[in-house]
Amino acid sequence: MRRLLYIALLLPTLVRASVSEVDTLSTAHHLRIDNVEIVSQRPMRDIGVQKTLLDTLVLHENIALSLADVLSQNSTIFIKSYGRATLSTASFRGTSPSHTQVSWNGMKITSPMLGMTDFSMIPSYFIDETSLLHGTSSVSVTGGGLGGAISLATRPTSSEGWDLRYIQGIGSFTTFDEFLRVGYSAERWQSSTRVVLSTSKNDFRYTNYRRKVNTIYDENRNLISFDYPEERNRNGEFRDLHILQEFYYKLPSGDQLSLAAWYVNSNRGVPMLNVDTHDSAEFENNQREQTLRSVLSWERISDHLRLSAQAGYLHTTLKYDYRSRTAQSDWAEMIRSRSKVNTLHAQAEVEYHPLERLMISGNVALYQHFVRSEDKNVIRQDGMRDVVGYDKARVELSAYVTAKWRPIERLGLSVALRENLYGRDFTPIIPAAFIDFIASHRGNVVLKASISRNHRYPTLNDLYFQPGGNKDLRIERGFTYDGGVSFAIKREERFSLSGEVTLFDSYINDWIIWLPTAKGFWSPQNIKRVHAYGAEVKLSTSIRLADEWRLALDGNFSWTPSINQGDRINWADQSIGKQLPYVPRTSAAVTGRLTWRDWSLLYKWNYYGERTTTSSGKTRTRIGRLAPYFMNDVSIERKLSVRWADFSFKGAVNNLFNEEYESVLSRPMPGINFEIFIGITPKFKR
Amino acid sequence: MRELRYRILCHVVALATMFLAGCMEPLVYGEESFSEQGRGLFIVNEGNFTYANASLSYYSIDGAGDALNEIFYAANGVPLGDTAQSMSIRGEYGYVVVNYSGAIYMIHLDTFRLAGEITNLTSPRYIHFVDDHKAYVSDLYAEQITIFDPLTMEVTGHIPTTGHRSTERMVQCADRLFVCCWSYDNTLLVIDTKSDMVIDSVEVGWQPTSVVKDCNDKLWVLCEGKQSSGSGGGESAQLLKIDPTTLDIELRLRFAPNHTPSELMLDGKGENLYFIEEDIWRMSCGDEYLPAEPIIRCGDTIFYGLGIDPVTGEIYVADAIDYMQDGIVSRYTPQGELVESFYVGITPGAFCFKP
Repeated sequence: MRRLLYIALLLPTLVRASVSEVDTLSTAHHLRIDNVEIVSQRPMRDIGVQKTLLDTLVLHENIALSLADVLSQNSTIFIKSYGRATLSTASFRGTSPSHTQVSWNGMKITSPMLGMTDFSMIPSYFIDETSLLHGTSSVSVTGGGLGGAISLATRPTSSEGWDLRYIQGIGSFTTFDEFLRVGYSAERWQSSTRVVLSTSKNDFRYTNYRRKVNTIYDENRNLISFDYPEERNRNGEFRDLHILQEFYYKLPSGDQLSLAAWYVNSNRGVPMLNVDTHDSAEFENNQREQTLRSVLSWERISDHLRLSAQAGYLHTTLKYDYRSRTAQSDWAEMIRSRSKVNTLHAQAEVEYHPLERLMISGNVALYQHFVRSEDKNVIRQDGMRDVVGYDKARVELSAYVTAKWRPIERLGLSVALRENLYGRDFTPIIPAAFIDFIASHRGNVVLKASISRNHRYPTLNDLYFQPGGNKDLRIERGFTYDGGVSFAIKREERFSLSGEVTLFDSYINDWIIWLPTAKGFWSPQNIKRVHAYGAEVKLSTSIRLADEWRLALDGNFSWTPSINQGDRINWADQSIGKQLPYVPRTSAAVTGRLTWRDWSLLYKWNYYGERTTTSSGKTRTRIGRLAPYFMNDVSIERKLSVRWADFSFKGAVNNLFNEEYESVLSRPMPGINFEIFIGITPKFKR
Repeated sequence: MRELRYRILCHVVALATMFLAGCMEPLVYGEESFSEQGRGLFIVNEGNFTYANASLSYYSIDGAGDALNEIFYAANGVPLGDTAQSMSIRGEYGYVVVNYSGAIYMIHLDTFRLAGEITNLTSPRYIHFVDDHKAYVSDLYAEQITIFDPLTMEVTGHIPTTGHRSTERMVQCADRLFVCCWSYDNTLLVIDTKSDMVIDSVEVGWQPTSVVKDCNDKLWVLCEGKQSSGSGGGESAQLLKIDPTTLDIELRLRFAPNHTPSELMLDGKGENLYFIEEDIWRMSCGDEYLPAEPIIRCGDTIFYGLGIDPVTGEIYVADAIDYMQDGIVSRYTPQGELVESFYVGITPGAFCFKP
């Protein structure tokens, strides 16, 4: 209601703005020429592609943000998060996190073991460009992205000489965020080192309405007095270190060589549920991760040809411990899980433009995974430890070919084929087709549509996890099509407006889901047939209010019914025709940025609708639903420049209205919290 | 400039109004009143591990009809917790064991209101009452059984079970308590309920999960067995009959390979054994072989929980469906004919009959 009221209150402003801009437009029609130029530069490779680009303005908003935070605010993707520095997964268009494929500098980084990516482990300051490829568009980078794909990239800087930047953030709950970038750029080569260190006790206070303490009973044991405990978030402490090293070298021939290596060392507590009565001092639930991702790339660009090749190596060691102290003061180990993933990667790509309006490209990508996953804490009755797990290697080969043609200036056509090999199993060919059409140069109105089939092969855990792995799983099969319209209007520097509406419809058969078995453990099954459909809307505007005042607004909205259309398990099954659990039907976000000289004020509003926690979709229940989510964050920044350095000072207020809420059942979330950032960028002689 | 001021003013007013008007739904829930007299059936809905969606349902046996769901939450304004395991009744109170929360909640049987609690238990599973002031709690991970006073809800001691960290169901014969050591174990421990010490043990089959005492004072132990992966060769599930005095295994009935029986139950008279092995099976305590025909066929359901009405001998069977929605409980006559079915909570796993 509050949000509707806000929109209503803003209407006079918006109406006035629209009227005045339309008036001005009508007298400045010669600007249409600029618009034509922009459209003509649309890359051939983006014909019909539904893509959301996130640039450094949003990715580098502040060093405390993970990519999960940025995606949640700036895209129609739904992020399921358990809080800061805890598992955060991304879902496109009502699908599951395992239907989102993620690549970094061209190398797929989705875990071959789990089939998903934890976006809380990716500091947004480490990424210079993010492309979100919705639905069919994911086929251009990888297979298996039944919902979509996220392509992350780092980029060289454009300036020469030394580049030094340091930012310190100090926030609530003993949180420290530090960022350092040291770079040097010469005519032919460039080096950049980035370090992010985030540490926090993450012990925010909250009122726990899920437990009663200080209970007093009368003689008949009737409860006559109690308190809701004022608690701190327990076991949420974390320390994440990221180091990113990049080298770029330009050969005399013009070829480009680059090397990027990203090391992660993370030690995180897994926060306790608010219904957990264990004493946190006698309880340990901890996850440690060490990851190295490295990619060596070569690229040659000539008039009609672009050739590139890359080799990569990925290593991850994951350690998870869950144990509790017993009355004898020793530790009862419940889980001691260890896993190692080693992946070798090679890829070659060619892009050929035989004609100005025709492009043919293809690539072949190879991944060799070695995965060892085990729980070392199974203690047999004879006192010996038993190791339960698996040790598997799997090769994955993906070949892709596409032709893109623009027969006339307004029309773009594209077809693509992808074939994947997993071990010895070929998945069916993934076909995709794209079309776009410039309906009007005035306003850059572009119509787009695409259609594809897609398949996702089971992960190694799906197949081999002990206990429960199911070697008889079938691949997930998806079919999706979408269509939409986008526009962009720009009037010099004074006003710009762009937007996009996309409707999509997709079906996924043999959806893999882990279910408990009568034998006491969980096992994956192909049980669901899901119909996900809906709409995505994006709107962006920038208005120069006065000489030094500028207001930019970015908004997105998505409507994503994601309906289980599988066969009933039995007569009592109430899940058919219901929205999938934890997937909201609606979500939206608005970011407003008001700038004046060296000041900028950023306001973020984020919403998603009521979610169910059960497959039967019942909402008239206390544990079966999560209330709609509204979040407001604000920050203000001042930039200052002196002869020898640039400074930035930023203050951020998160959860501005101090909301008490849960984003996932019984996972407490922090109330209002603050962080200040001080940045310094020395100026070096060029 | 005038227009700029107007726009800024609009934003300020809008923001201020947003601040003053409402926020997310409050987290606190109110409490509802119940007064459920007569015989009833509590259904312990496990929920999903780490999802904090365990709940308690109540079904009036005499009144029949639908069950009351989420009664603990409704009566107390707080959820039951994470992964409820079992419930036992002693006198006027019910005791619900919530495994992953590490808690035991004591409730009034008619109002479902909280009457006491024990917290910070490692991984509690089942309760056995020795007398009015002494009860034992088994534990999945701690090498100990916790002793507490069920009237004051105070922990009074521990029984070390060195070398056996997964204690499960318990049954008492005279002053001797027999405890299944379940996970990766094959032992039935014997505990002296006077000294609270382990005094003996019996090697049974792999992973003994349930133990009951029949009308002839014989113990029946159901062992899950193991598949051939993991720690070497496999072992079939077994049903053992043991003399509690001599600890001799008098009868060993082996199930077919890969059969995983569970939920060994006795009827009220202690004459018939029931268990789940896909279907529901019944055998007389005098039988020396496993039954050939089930009493209730599972059809397209997966039976997860089993309870036998100690008064009427009626059979209650729980089906978790997909384990992510309200499960269903079906009530059958002692002859296996369906009486009615009713929805309960997520993953109904255990029953507790209110006298």
